[in-house]
Amino acid sequence: MPDSLTAGRVPPVAVSTTSTLVTKTGAWKYIQPVYRDRVAPCNEACPVGIDVEGYLNLIREGRTAQALDLLLRENPMPAITGRVCHHPCEASCNRRCFDEAVAVHEIERSMGDLALETTPRRMPGTRVGKIGIVGSGPAALSCAYHLARLGYAVIVHEAAAEPGGMLRLGIPEYRLPRVVLNRQIEWIAAHGVEFVCGVRVGTDIPWRDFLSRFDAVFVAIGAMRSRPLGIPGEQLEGVRPGLEFLAEVNRGERPKLGARVVVVGGGNTAMDCARTAVRLGSDVTVLYRRTRAEMPAIAAEVEEAEREGVRFTFLVAPALLRGTDRVKSVECQLMRLGEPDASGRRAPVPIEGSRFRLPADTVLTAIGELPDFRSLPTGMDLDQSGVATDQLGATSLAAVFAGGDLTRDPRSVAHAIGAGKRAAIGIDRHLLRAGGLAVNGGDPDELRYGPRGNLSITRWRGDDPVSRHAPLNEVVTFGDINTSQFVHRPRAIGQRVAVEIARAGFDEVNVGLSQDEAYEEAGRCFNCAVCNRCDLCLILCPDIAITRDGDGYAVNLDYCKGCGVCAAECPRGAITMTKVGE
Amino acid sequence: MSQLRIADRVPERELLSSGHLACPGCAASLAMRLVLKALGPNTVVVLPACCWSVIAGPWPQSSLGVPLYHTAFETGAATASGIRAALDLRGDADVTVMVWAGDGGTFDIGLQALSGAAERNENILYCCYDNEAYMNTGIQRSSATPWGAWTTTTPAAHPESSPKKDMLAIMAAHRIPYLATATVAYPDDLVEKARRASRARGFRFLHILSPCPPGWKHADDETIELARMAVQSRVFPLVEVEGGTTWRLSPEPPEAQPVAPYLLRQGRFRHLTEQSMEHIQSEVDRRWEWIVRQCANGGR
Amino acid sequence: MKKVMVGNHAVSWGVRLARTEVIAAYPITPQTQVVEELAEMCSDGRLEARFIKVESEHSAMAACIGASAAGARAFTATSSQGLALMHEMLHWAANGRHPVVMANVNRALGPGWNIWTDQIDSLSQRDTGWIQLYCENNQEVLDTTVMAFRLAEAVDLPVMIVLDAFYLSHTAEPVDVPEQEAVDAFLPRREARYKLDVRDPRTFGGLVRPDSYMEMKWHLQKSMDQALQLFDEIEEEWLLRFGRRYGAVESYRADDAQLLLVTSGTITSTARHVVDVLRERGESVGLVKVKMFRPFPVSSLRHALAGAERVAVLDRNLSAGRGGIFAEEIRSALYHGNGRATPDVFGFVLGLGGRDVTPALIEEIVQRTKSAPTSGRRDLWAGVNL
Repeated sequence: MPDSLTAGRVPPVAVSTTSTLVTKTGAWKYIQPVYRDRVAPCNEACPVGIDVEGYLNLIREGRTAQALDLLLRENPMPAITGRVCHHPCEASCNRRCFDEAVAVHEIERSMGDLALETTPRRMPGTRVGKIGIVGSGPAALSCAYHLARLGYAVIVHEAAAEPGGMLRLGIPEYRLPRVVLNRQIEWIAAHGVEFVCGVRVGTDIPWRDFLSRFDAVFVAIGAMRSRPLGIPGEQLEGVRPGLEFLAEVNRGERPKLGARVVVVGGGNTAMDCARTAVRLGSDVTVLYRRTRAEMPAIAAEVEEAEREGVRFTFLVAPALLRGTDRVKSVECQLMRLGEPDASGRRAPVPIEGSRFRLPADTVLTAIGELPDFRSLPTGMDLDQSGVATDQLGATSLAAVFAGGDLTRDPRSVAHAIGAGKRAAIGIDRHLLRAGGLAVNGGDPDELRYGPRGNLSITRWRGDDPVSRHAPLNEVVTFGDINTSQFVHRPRAIGQRVAVEIARAGFDEVNVGLSQDEAYEEAGRCFNCAVCNRCDLCLILCPDIAITRDGDGYAVNLDYCKGCGVCAAECPRGAITMTKVGE
Repeated sequence: MSQLRIADRVPERELLSSGHLACPGCAASLAMRLVLKALGPNTVVVLPACCWSVIAGPWPQSSLGVPLYHTAFETGAATASGIRAALDLRGDADVTVMVWAGDGGTFDIGLQALSGAAERNENILYCCYDNEAYMNTGIQRSSATPWGAWTTTTPAAHPESSPKKDMLAIMAAHRIPYLATATVAYPDDLVEKARRASRARGFRFLHILSPCPPGWKHADDETIELARMAVQSRVFPLVEVEGGTTWRLSPEPPEAQPVAPYLLRQGRFRHLTEQSMEHIQSEVDRRWEWIVRQCANGGR
Repeated sequence: MKKVMVGNHAVSWGVRLARTEVIAAYPITPQTQVVEELAEMCSDGRLEARFIKVESEHSAMAACIGASAAGARAFTATSSQGLALMHEMLHWAANGRHPVVMANVNRALGPGWNIWTDQIDSLSQRDTGWIQLYCENNQEVLDTTVMAFRLAEAVDLPVMIVLDAFYLSHTAEPVDVPEQEAVDAFLPRREARYKLDVRDPRTFGGLVRPDSYMEMKWHLQKSMDQALQLFDEIEEEWLLRFGRRYGAVESYRADDAQLLLVTSGTITSTARHVVDVLRERGESVGLVKVKMFRPFPVSSLRHALAGAERVAVLDRNLSAGRGGIFAEEIRSALYHGNGRATPDVFGFVLGLGGRDVTPALIEEIVQRTKSAPTSGRRDLWAGVNL
């Protein structure tokens, strides 16, 4: 081109000499996009407080070692929760509204089994202090694990001969094989947790002595007493607390139940009792006073029970247990659903003149468990549901924390693990403060995944390996998802053993997914709320105003016209439009 | 994978600059960006009068990183024919000559030159970004305006009364080597079709539906979604036609969605009665069946 | 080498000798032979050009513009309605500074349908920015065609070669065809100043705001002024190489003539004959032929007409509502506005739609011009039956 074009004079022909970059079209906009990672609903729903979306995304990226590390930061026992957790993550999964929820529990189980093949890495913890833990169930194990990883010396005290608490006594082998449980506990112990079994604190060691030996104490003795039915005939032979029955079987005994077994209750203990009784050769009927929809048991457990031949009788409550020495039958009362009660579920109301008898050789009661408050140290305040604590597990006693089934928390393994972690944070904060250190993040709410989620110990420690960009602690809903960027694919289902084999013994029923199937299933995750650098915003920007920037993207405000296409099309709701100047 | 990895199929290179003068949320600017990603720098663009005459930038600016020739409204295909001939003679036979025209310059005033170039099988790629009216002059109806639509020359009381001209059938009837429809909602598909078009020889035609926020009366951030809905509702089927006879639906069509939600998202259809929407639905169904029949008759 | 050829083929030969690269054309009587012959030449390899058989004259010009914008030498031919259809693109070619060369065979515009000659088609394109060169015979047609490319490419402006329908287009005359090597030396391959090039990607013809548009038009006018001078130089070179020159303005037996006829196109040849006859009779009559209409050779004309008392302009055209176009241009060129005497200009409209302009009619015009007390600056019609 001739020089005259660049000489600053108007040339004979309208030939371009520069690009449109000289025009700052960004001045047109009144709103602008901001990359703000939010919270996936699974993360908020997880009672443990796992960064579910985070580790599934790392699996998707092929970074499985980092994924496992992220999972183990929050959950000490994924091999167990992957098997027994009621997985509310899946109930809240946004993909549920698209096709089916991601099978998070199967992925977690697979990762958990993988973890058990690794040698635990002892964290270079910096904290100094000695912690005593009473009980060795999921809450206790969780608290011990997290404190050990922080560097504390932790001693777990268990009254029974072996550690595990409810995991060992209450959960049947066909759901949680002992070998898995043992290896999981060994794995936790390898982080530097010491176990003392066969010692009942409060009886074998007086509480006063015990408390004086430690800088802080965590009490998590669970709720091991079955709630009585409170009806006539409960003292008859053959009427047994379900938990006691499960503990007996879990110790390896095989009690004789007779041909006909009636199980009372609709929770997981009831299902465990029913399916265990099936394996001992009995014909089993479950009585539940509400309908199937209200059953607190994990739906899959109910389905498995049905598959194995358990009969369900809904809207029925036992009114009276008949028999002379030994129970012969259950006199049942038909119910209907009335107004909702305190739990929000519709309360069962008896229907007059509708009793009938059900023959029974054994009746197993499973209508709830209670803590043994007699085992607690004196002076520990209680509320209506159990030991009163603050949200980090602190009780009314100085340096004494509590968590798990003996508090008002929902009774689940996951909630117990979550409570153990909260108490670990509580104890750490207490001891740091006692040591005169100023502690950041004093407000536990800042550590939550979403407004109602559990706390993240990773956030407490401040070493989150997943970078979140300008995070907003709000949960992404299905409406925020751009489903056009996903294709329908059915959820992976773990392989089940044949029902004849299941009924014949205590082999694990769910064989789970292969590692590859699990990784594949992780690819179904929407990765809600967190930018995973899918480039769609970059590709769809009509103004080329989005550029790569380190790990993520930057908006060039000189040219962004504020159309909002990037935010509307982000598959996962990780871009927010804000008013210019705000 | 159940996540679509579009990024793997869209080249990184940028031949469109920021600072161009398209309205916020303009599909036509995005379409150019994506097509040039596919074609690369060895491309000459011919631009008859259309929105892009403005988007390209005022002299002495240019928003394109490839040569661009602004030409008169009805001359896209003819001017491109001349450029093609010159480049061939001057040793640049490998350069892609692309016409980038709006629906007015294609369906209406430019149809004669287009038909001529297509019939001569000129070795050029003709892209029509179709925003379904004369948007640059302020939303007047064109023969690409769909039945029932409001424009400034088809007021809501007497909306567009002719069906949209069937450009696909017209171009197929020219028996050109490659013909395809695409939208910005499926950027990887658009890029792939532009690539296929660039690899083919002879006259190639890409029809790109381009939602227009001010003209269709929708929010700036709904551009992509409306393009997607147009495909899902089969208002704008995505097809490829080779040699005018070998038809195929490409990509595999998504599950059919009703037309009404697509219409109701746009202010230009706000006046439509339920009966009108049913009429549109039946016309969409009828045309879809026709296209499916073409695919069955001549498809592989 | 002398060849006998019709005017249309003289165009084709000129185009061939210019090694034109792209031809885009559409048939229209009486131009069609130009492109038929070119199609033959392309077909048998005598001309290595791409011939685009477009679907209209509008597209023909658009294709030529495209080819020219990409750096090639481009040519088209048309006539009358076809030229009118091209009108939009004529502006485009000029404003875009594309040195396209076009032959226009003068033909009247309908309705009623008329395929015979007059100049209204080409003169209607007066303001498009095209250089216009009118021809008197087939040798001039060939020579002008080649020189047109040289001129066009020197100033980046399009050039229209104009020849009369049938009188030239379909009339065979002996034409000296220059040697190709000699023409190659006169007209090398085009090297465009600006062109579409992927190695230097630029945008041509974008929006130009009021702050710059006028400067571009000023450049156009300046190039027209330059073309006037350049044409003289180019003809000088043509004379040296090929022994012929025509001049933007040619005076024929005009010295000391009291009355000068002004003509363009084939009427000139008839007028030369009439002047010869009248000179024989001792009448002080001469002739000035105008070859170049745009740019308008104002000073050459002033010089050529300066000594005459009366000028009779023969216009085979009409600007309805005003009169003959050459006459009006000449009056304007001669007007000084300082009270100095200029020849009295008589404008005669004649020969429209192919009406024959005979020696008798031209003699009648001479007599009318001599005998009238003054022109009165009125439009006069000649050879019209009322």
